[in-house]
Amino acid sequence: MAAGLKTVILLSFVLAVGFLMIILSCALWSNWLPLLVALTFVVAPLPNALFSHCGADDFSTDLGEGSGPVDLGRFITAIIVVTGFSLPLVLAHSEIIRPGACVMSIVGGGLVYGTILSYTAAFKQDDSEYD
Amino acid sequence: MSLPRSDYDPRRVCLNPFPGLNISLGKHRRTLGVYIAGGLFALATWTFLDAAILSAHAHPPYNEPDYPVPVHVGFVDWVPGINSLLGMLVINLIDKDRVRGDEGFGDSRAVWRARLFLFVGFALMAGGLAGSVALLVLKYVLQGYQEQYLYYGYANVAQNVSLMLSAVVLWIAQSSSSEYEYSLAI
Repeated sequence: MAAGLKTVILLSFVLAVGFLMIILSCALWSNWLPLLVALTFVVAPLPNALFSHCGADDFSTDLGEGSGPVDLGRFITAIIVVTGFSLPLVLAHSEIIRPGACVMSIVGGGLVYGTILSYTAAFKQDDSEYD
Repeated sequence: MSLPRSDYDPRRVCLNPFPGLNISLGKHRRTLGVYIAGGLFALATWTFLDAAILSAHAHPPYNEPDYPVPVHVGFVDWVPGINSLLGMLVINLIDKDRVRGDEGFGDSRAVWRARLFLFVGFALMAGGLAGSVALLVLKYVLQGYQEQYLYYGYANVAQNVSLMLSAVVLWIAQSSSSEYEYSLAI
């Protein structure tokens, strides 16, 4: 648990840097469309969190990681993540935002989503100890 | 009283089984396959939306502003994608155990019906793919547009190829995992 505090501080720092990149990519060119990327990546872990409780009840074995709702949640998660990365590319391709804003928002979005992923991975074992 | 799996498996659909590409992934194969399928689906959608947005923001060149934009993405371009999407829905709504033809189900005609709907789904997807290629040739290539307008047709073909790949990856991921569980349950 001693490593928990450092991890929390580091992850919050990375999260702040990610949001800083996204907001800078909007504010530097005064075009606030890349803010959708932040919204997308914040929504990204939501389907897995919602659908993960639909899969296994107490009577099923631990092997059974495959059920319809869980797969649907993963499918939607992958769609949202790819959307978050491809939305700035599409916007930059049709010259709505600048290429610099595109790169900055992609990097910022990747930092935000990486923070969310590593936060879930780092504190997963703490949840399972209560079982 | 169990047959070796490598020789003959009576539950097999195809004569030549699909090669086990990522056996080493083990139980994460289903998860990874579903993620890849979702990513391919989003990639397909955004490839086509890129062309549509690009077409909506197309402007004449700056040095000759009187030259009009020759072609736009219209409703015709949406039709192959909608076909493929419908086909993907039909394929994924089928119970995969029915297609495999286990004799445990009482209704023997259910297998026949499931295979019919599987055929309809794959026919819809193939129709979407063929339609996108036809659209590329008839609407863009034969009219002799410039390369930047040919991109609309290429994006359409890429969308339908990605949708078909997504459906295939999803099917393989979901059906391979059920066999895995089945072999462990015995």
